[in-house]
Amino acid sequence: MTTNAATGAVKRTEKSASPWAIARRKFLRNKLAMASTVFLILVIILTLMAPFLAPHLSPIPDITKVNISKMSIPPNGDHLLGTDKSGRDVMTRLLYGGRISLLVGASATAIVVVLGTIVGSVAGFFGGAVDSLLMRFTDFVLNFPFLVFVIVLNTILFGIVDGLWVLILVIGLLSWGGVARIVRSKVLAEKENEYVLAAISIGTPPAKVIIKHLLPNVLSTIIVQSTLLFASLIVAETGLSYLGFGVPQETPSWGNMLAFANEPDVLQGKPWIWMPPALIITATILSINFIGEGLKDALNPKSQR
Amino acid sequence: MLKYTLRRVLGMIPMLFLVSVVVFFLAKAMPGDSLSGEIDPTNTNPEYQEEMREKLGYNDPVYMQYYRWVTDFMSGDFGKSTRYKMPVADLIGEKLPNTIFLALTSLLITYVLAFAMGMYSGRKPYTLGDNLIAGFNYAGIAIPSFVAGVFAVYFFAFKLNWFPFAGSVDIEIDKGTIDYWISRIHHVMLPAFVLGMFSTASYTQFLRNDLIENSRKDFVRTALAKGTPMGKIYNVHILRNSIIPLVTFLGFDIAALVGGAIITEKIFTYPGIGLLFLDSVNNRDYPTVMAITMMLSAMVLIGNLIADILYGIVDPRIRLG
Amino acid sequence: MKRKSMLWLFAMILVLSAFLAACGGGGSDDASDSDSGDSKDGEKATEEQSGEPQQGGTLTYGLDATPEGLYNWAFYGIATDAEIIEFFDEGLIEYDENLQPIPNLAEWETEDNQHFTFKFKEGVKWHNGEELTVNDWVFALETIAHPDYDGPRYANVETIEGAPAFRAGEADSISGLKVVDDYTIEVTFDEPRLNNLTNIWSYPMSQKEFEGIEVADMSGSEQVRTKPVGLGPFKVENVVPGESLELVKNEDYWNGEVNLDKIIIRVIDNTATVGALQNGDIDMISLQPVSAPDVEKLDNVEVVTAPGLSYYYVGFKLGKFDNDKKEIVEELPKYQDLNLRKAMAHAINREEWIDAFFFGYGKPVNKPVPTAHWIAADDSEVNVYEYDPEKAKQLLDEAGFVDTNDDGFREDPNGDEFVVKFSHYATGNPTFESRSQAIAQYWEEVGLKSEVEMVEVNLYYDMVEKDDPSIETFFGGWGTGTDPDPSALWKADQLWNYPRYNNPDADALLEQALSVEEVGDDQEKRAQVYAEWQKTVTEDVPMIFIAELDEIMGVGENVGGFSMDVSGYNNPAEWYLEK
Repeated sequence: MTTNAATGAVKRTEKSASPWAIARRKFLRNKLAMASTVFLILVIILTLMAPFLAPHLSPIPDITKVNISKMSIPPNGDHLLGTDKSGRDVMTRLLYGGRISLLVGASATAIVVVLGTIVGSVAGFFGGAVDSLLMRFTDFVLNFPFLVFVIVLNTILFGIVDGLWVLILVIGLLSWGGVARIVRSKVLAEKENEYVLAAISIGTPPAKVIIKHLLPNVLSTIIVQSTLLFASLIVAETGLSYLGFGVPQETPSWGNMLAFANEPDVLQGKPWIWMPPALIITATILSINFIGEGLKDALNPKSQR
Repeated sequence: MLKYTLRRVLGMIPMLFLVSVVVFFLAKAMPGDSLSGEIDPTNTNPEYQEEMREKLGYNDPVYMQYYRWVTDFMSGDFGKSTRYKMPVADLIGEKLPNTIFLALTSLLITYVLAFAMGMYSGRKPYTLGDNLIAGFNYAGIAIPSFVAGVFAVYFFAFKLNWFPFAGSVDIEIDKGTIDYWISRIHHVMLPAFVLGMFSTASYTQFLRNDLIENSRKDFVRTALAKGTPMGKIYNVHILRNSIIPLVTFLGFDIAALVGGAIITEKIFTYPGIGLLFLDSVNNRDYPTVMAITMMLSAMVLIGNLIADILYGIVDPRIRLG
Repeated sequence: MKRKSMLWLFAMILVLSAFLAACGGGGSDDASDSDSGDSKDGEKATEEQSGEPQQGGTLTYGLDATPEGLYNWAFYGIATDAEIIEFFDEGLIEYDENLQPIPNLAEWETEDNQHFTFKFKEGVKWHNGEELTVNDWVFALETIAHPDYDGPRYANVETIEGAPAFRAGEADSISGLKVVDDYTIEVTFDEPRLNNLTNIWSYPMSQKEFEGIEVADMSGSEQVRTKPVGLGPFKVENVVPGESLELVKNEDYWNGEVNLDKIIIRVIDNTATVGALQNGDIDMISLQPVSAPDVEKLDNVEVVTAPGLSYYYVGFKLGKFDNDKKEIVEELPKYQDLNLRKAMAHAINREEWIDAFFFGYGKPVNKPVPTAHWIAADDSEVNVYEYDPEKAKQLLDEAGFVDTNDDGFREDPNGDEFVVKFSHYATGNPTFESRSQAIAQYWEEVGLKSEVEMVEVNLYYDMVEKDDPSIETFFGGWGTGTDPDPSALWKADQLWNYPRYNNPDADALLEQALSVEEVGDDQEKRAQVYAEWQKTVTEDVPMIFIAELDEIMGVGENVGGFSMDVSGYNNPAEWYLEK
């Protein structure tokens, strides 16, 4: 890979290294985190290329067609991972399913991070009535019965909006509470620093103080949080789909593929149907967590490795 | 502190009220009602359904239904389950002990394991033991609980026959005997472990990292320089600092357990609130859905309150406005 | 639910002998079980004769759904609860394997199908020691007719003379019930009907047990939920709500000796079914088709099947129903073309579909009545739509559905785009999507563009019932009870006639079949009228009849004395465990 070139570049600027450069260097040296990054990128590329790869990998690249004559075939030369109970190629569905699961995870994370950061930093910065109002609202969101909301919105919006986006919106709108709390507490701590107080005292507008002075200091926290969120929101998708309340059944997603494990005959007798999604989910979450860990380590100025 | 606690408790009331409004109207917006769904024509007829809808007040405007429900709820009447045809309070009372037992066992497992493993890893970072624990942690965090649960049922219950695969107690054992409690613990271990796995892993991780970080702080160096033994420094100085955030998690734990119990109970067919909730949602048993939702929301609020109070006790510097 | 006949038992011997002959040992020792299992095939007859019922033992019966806990015939709502009640309570009337009523706790006489005299067996005792009298039956009927009653059974009492007045509070008792003595009662119905007997509520409730409990509180009472008493071969000893029940032998059972000491009923998740049977954790369970092939492979468990009483169909929305006026008010044009409907029926390969999604535990059904029912017409008497894509294409060509723009799909006779919309309910079950997709593909193969829409199950039935415009063709299933009358699902003035099938000739036939003047007690004549009705329906194709499924039981090899037919399994008193 390009590790050598990168470290070389870092070396040249070592004397006046910015915290970000140090972090990058640390991260690049973290083998586990790097391997995970490579793996994750590979997964993303493969899933994105699904329409091009599928025809080469399987004699039946169509992911919706049911093939009664080809149901539940164990892995073989034609079907590298076998076929599922609908006679659909597991490998192909895994690729297509990955697009959906990763899309849901990434989009929901984006919503969560943006909302959570805005709410948290505003609440932490202004304090007082704004803070308690926003935090009460955050409590309210954190309190919200997630499952009820997902089911209800999925059914109410049925046919009006594409079910996938309903799910993304619902997950996103209900999950920002935690980020808001963390950002708020970081902002609370940061804003007592002299430089922030100084900035406020010379009349810097609040938005500017938040964006210029506070956010950069909580950015590392946000980055680490959002990687972990990405992982847990992928779990949210797969979990909801597994329970039958997630992505519409017609759309392949890792969760929907795993839902076949609910079938009495599949779990024990046809492991090739549910093992691939289970393993890829685990591997993906694992690699994202390693990346998150690596980032945390790298962004922590006190850590030595 | 007392005044603060009191104010927070009072603050919960409008919150619960808000939750109740939103949940009620959303629940009512769900398509179908307790009488819809797959019909067994040998067992019912359209006239009966219409009659019951009228009797249950489903034909009234939603705000009237809400008013009726909320006034009854305030006076302690949670309504009658449309599916089980018994008071919701009794129904919940029947299942709640199981869920509490599951949650407590899970908490116990979580904290004991997390403390033991976290302390070990934190004091001896980057050793073989630490790496093994880290391996467990990564697995614990990455494997979704439903995958882990399904694995657990098949491996530990069926293949190894170590644990029962379903239920909360062996029916043939008399209530109140020692065997009865042993049977209950035997039934709850597997689901409790799966339920607590995620928290165990994240707390271990957290404790470890915090211990390492704190051990590099100045006060530790000072204490070391003064000749305090390392063991004492860990137990007295560092641990105290690391426990602060961990203790505050307890509050969130309550909420997480409640959510996690839904999936865990389903996989292990463990008859608690989670299973009842899923069942009620699928059958549009509004009184039960509402009562459980309110209960869960209240528990999350109480959990947060506990977290804040504990925070205040452990670290007096932080008193939330 | 019902008594078996000796003839049927004889027919079942082939299936049964395997486990009648089992030499016990449970499921823990797979090796020895498989040995005995292999060697048994040749010696069925002798083993059967030597298979003397043995006394004692505890049988574990599995349930793959959670009971609601309403353990009383008058209050239960779901089949799972009924499955449990059958172990400890029974009714006045039973049904034989032809679904004809036979006396159980009572005999009856009637001259005119309106006035009935029931004579109860004497000396039958409830589990609480009280003797069964006709007052317990009157009590049950008055409970159900009570305005506070919250169960769905009033339709089974309504037809008794004076029941509506009692319900409205205008009378203190039901005038049609005349108690002669403790064991004799005369029942008068509001009019003579051929199905009065099969329709009437035939389960007594212990009056003593429910003393002092208001009707409104009954369904929540411990007499229904945790301490139910019945008349059956087993007594309820202990209930752990939602997970298990412990039943013990009723020493005073009126109908012969009970073999087993105990039955444990426990709820298990359906993913655990196969493992639980294999480990011997459960001895018996009713199986879903999907689990059956795996159970077949187990050496210590036998799969027993009997024809079921339900069928699946694909319906066409042909009209709109007005529930206030109780009539079909509008005809929907899209699927009015009979040839189109016939072609869509011919397009579906039902055998292949059933094998793929029900693993062969079912067969194609060609009429709106399950084949096992005594009113079912022979396939030669109805129009059968075999899988024949060529014929389907030909019918579509004739009807004017041809591909005019070369997109590979047919356009409607006006040359407009034609898309068949097929709706199916969605639960957590992932196979629903593929089985509906498969049906849509059959239509695509004959050139009809088709789309599948999965709808959440509650919403689905709501939309089907209210004739929502987005429902065009839809998947559904109906179960028929012992009463053969299909009027509630088929007549034009019925809400549950989902396709909105509207053929006055068919309705007239249904009325004729119930007419005392025209048909009377002549069962053959009645069956004939129903056959004619079935022919009419199959000619009109308001729905494509797809499949009827088998009832399947997984039974441990060590369980003996079990048999099953279309009316259910035999009396559990006859079951036994081999030591």
